[in-house]
Amino acid sequence: MTVMTPAGDFRTSYRADTTIFPTRGSRAALWAGLAVLLCAPLVLDRYLLSLLINVGTLGIAALGLNILVGFTGQISIGHAAFFGFGAFSSAWLHESFGLPVLLCIPVAGLMTALVGLVFGAPAARLKGLYLAIATLAAQFILEDFFARARWFTGGVAGRLTESPAIGSFALDREESYFYLVLAFVIIMFVAAANLMRTRDGRALVAVRDHYLSAEIMGINLAYYRTLSFGIASFYAGIGGALYAHHLQFVSVEAFNILFSIQFLGMVIIGGLGSIMGSLMGAAFMVALPEVVQAAADALAGGAIDRALKIGGNISFLREMAIGAAIILFLIFEPDGLARRWKLIKAYWKLYPYSH
Amino acid sequence: MKTALAIAAAVALATPALAQQRIPVGHLMDNSGATSDVGVPYGQGVADTLAWVNQTRQGVAGRQLNVLGFDYGYQAPRAVSQYQSWTGRDRVVAIQGWGTADTEALVRFVNRDKIPFVSGSYSAALTDAGGKSGRQGVEASPYNFFFGPSYSDALRGMLRWAADDWKAKGGQGRPKYVHMGGNHPYPNSPKEAGEAMARELGFEVLPAIQFALTPGDYTSQCLTLKQQGANYAYLGNTAGSNISVLRACQTAGVQVQFMGNVWGMDENAMKAAGAAANGVVFPVRTQVVTGQDAPGMETIRAISRLSDPTGNVYRPVHYLAGACAAMLMVEAMDTAAANGGQVTGERIQRGFYERTNWVPKGFEGVCTPSTFTNEDHRGTMRVAIYRAVVSGDTSQGSVAELMRAGTMRLEPVTTVELERKRELLGW
Repeated sequence: MTVMTPAGDFRTSYRADTTIFPTRGSRAALWAGLAVLLCAPLVLDRYLLSLLINVGTLGIAALGLNILVGFTGQISIGHAAFFGFGAFSSAWLHESFGLPVLLCIPVAGLMTALVGLVFGAPAARLKGLYLAIATLAAQFILEDFFARARWFTGGVAGRLTESPAIGSFALDREESYFYLVLAFVIIMFVAAANLMRTRDGRALVAVRDHYLSAEIMGINLAYYRTLSFGIASFYAGIGGALYAHHLQFVSVEAFNILFSIQFLGMVIIGGLGSIMGSLMGAAFMVALPEVVQAAADALAGGAIDRALKIGGNISFLREMAIGAAIILFLIFEPDGLARRWKLIKAYWKLYPYSH
Repeated sequence: MKTALAIAAAVALATPALAQQRIPVGHLMDNSGATSDVGVPYGQGVADTLAWVNQTRQGVAGRQLNVLGFDYGYQAPRAVSQYQSWTGRDRVVAIQGWGTADTEALVRFVNRDKIPFVSGSYSAALTDAGGKSGRQGVEASPYNFFFGPSYSDALRGMLRWAADDWKAKGGQGRPKYVHMGGNHPYPNSPKEAGEAMARELGFEVLPAIQFALTPGDYTSQCLTLKQQGANYAYLGNTAGSNISVLRACQTAGVQVQFMGNVWGMDENAMKAAGAAANGVVFPVRTQVVTGQDAPGMETIRAISRLSDPTGNVYRPVHYLAGACAAMLMVEAMDTAAANGGQVTGERIQRGFYERTNWVPKGFEGVCTPSTFTNEDHRGTMRVAIYRAVVSGDTSQGSVAELMRAGTMRLEPVTTVELERKRELLGW
């Protein structure tokens, strides 16, 4: 393999065509990036690490939604409810059955996948706006369930969760929990990238591109649409479980419709139908409030602050910034950060002969 | 060259030292969420008081307080993640908190990190400092404090009053009591304690009525009240949604004596509800309200001027309570810093136990005396009950004008001194 991709397409096998990292350069960058991430806990403070952990947990869930929305062309505005179901499941499994947390996380993912399959059933027959409303129902049904099922969620008071442990070593600090999340991010993202190289993955894309053609080609529409919901929920469940054991507290209040919209925002901003885009979208969504906060801090006390009375209203500003970001991305970068990233890479690869 | 190096070294050494001088303190507020109606005045009271401490007393032991405010919108998970950033990055030594859901969720965290947490939640579950009550779901909370009677005790006090009131009015048979509130840890907190006390006092306890923490149309709840024939109803929510209930019940012609939670009624709510708020009783945590006089009111006025130089803004009961809550923390920090001591969470917590019948200096006649011990964090057992009296149109004029004109009044009804029963600790 070469450092650069040669001009023209010389790939002669399917194997070469589906390689995830085609050049030696990209593979070197992968290992270098991994090494940097592995060193992160040594240099970053706990707060920055917790932001990175949030990027990881939300990124996994966003990837699930991206498989559903970006790859299969379905829609879900109930993703936060599935995220929450994973969080509560893991907390419940640990507390009620004493399962080790590390085992609870994947089991919670499976439980969420089952619930997702149930709520995804209408997807076999519905599409577009009708499906959106059906998933909205899932959001509200699950939210109400969380508030009332005391045995499962602790009711409206929420539930405290424990940190995972390997043997007697508790992963209760950001420094150690970061590695756990990193491991899950790698596994889940590699799994998704591989899924898209299989027949099933291509079937999902075919359903998105033209459902009628896909059906004529022999793809079972109902099966793949429902399957997509199951996979999306599995990812949401894993992300939710990781979130629960990091925050060490789960409450129904977190998993509202706004959070579902935020997930959609991540997928749109990151790039529909892009694996890495999901992570970029999550990173954007985590970084945005920090940037807004920093901007407000910088403005504090100044003329603009006095004129707009930002002071205590910073949280409104944050919600507004998220809304504005989604609109701006839809107008100026509909393919998301992933495409922008590709363009930047291409610019440097082809420099100075970009055309 | 040598001098330059020395200066550089001195600057390098001095800069972090200067930064360390300020004492980081967290302040969780609800300025935008479901309880922001009362969260805003309370948070303002806390913020102004801490700013006043910095300005007039040079902070604590000569070190300024670095107050880190955060509006969490009454979402417990947001409070928890903010807590983690405060402890991870800013290393706060104490926190001024707010709601019941988040405070209860944080109990285990503040115990682990040894950070005193003065909440705006008066949930009785936070009073069992030693964890000896053995009640289900109540953990030891040695680092949780609040200023005022617990929600349960306040309700017990009001029920005591209600039982006497029923007799005084010559009511026939058993009076009927009903708990009303949202399905949320805050309104739920005193529910069982109140219903048990009501039964003990001879009330007939009706099934609880639910209404959300946000304003809405609660006509059906009022019709249920009417149909059940309730005589005394507890409003467990904050002022905003209670106003909706009061107005709807006025329209429906419901004759019930409403009893509000400490956060359930205030001067702003009286103006908003108008005649519908007339007659509602509720506990007031301070010994006086704005407009009355006490030695400490001069201090309150000085604090108030920090965010209102004109001195015209009316400060509702929650503002005064916020000032007292902030001062408890500040004086506990003073104790920690006394004799050159370190201002650490652990030492501040012990500072809360230094005084009995504790009234912060300069707040005499305003803050009700509090006493905390290492087993019992029920600061006070005194429940001062006030009645909201609205005698005219409240749509014209500001709260200050209406209070001055006497269109709206807060009328002391009675003060109930509850016994400090061991078996009721944490409930």
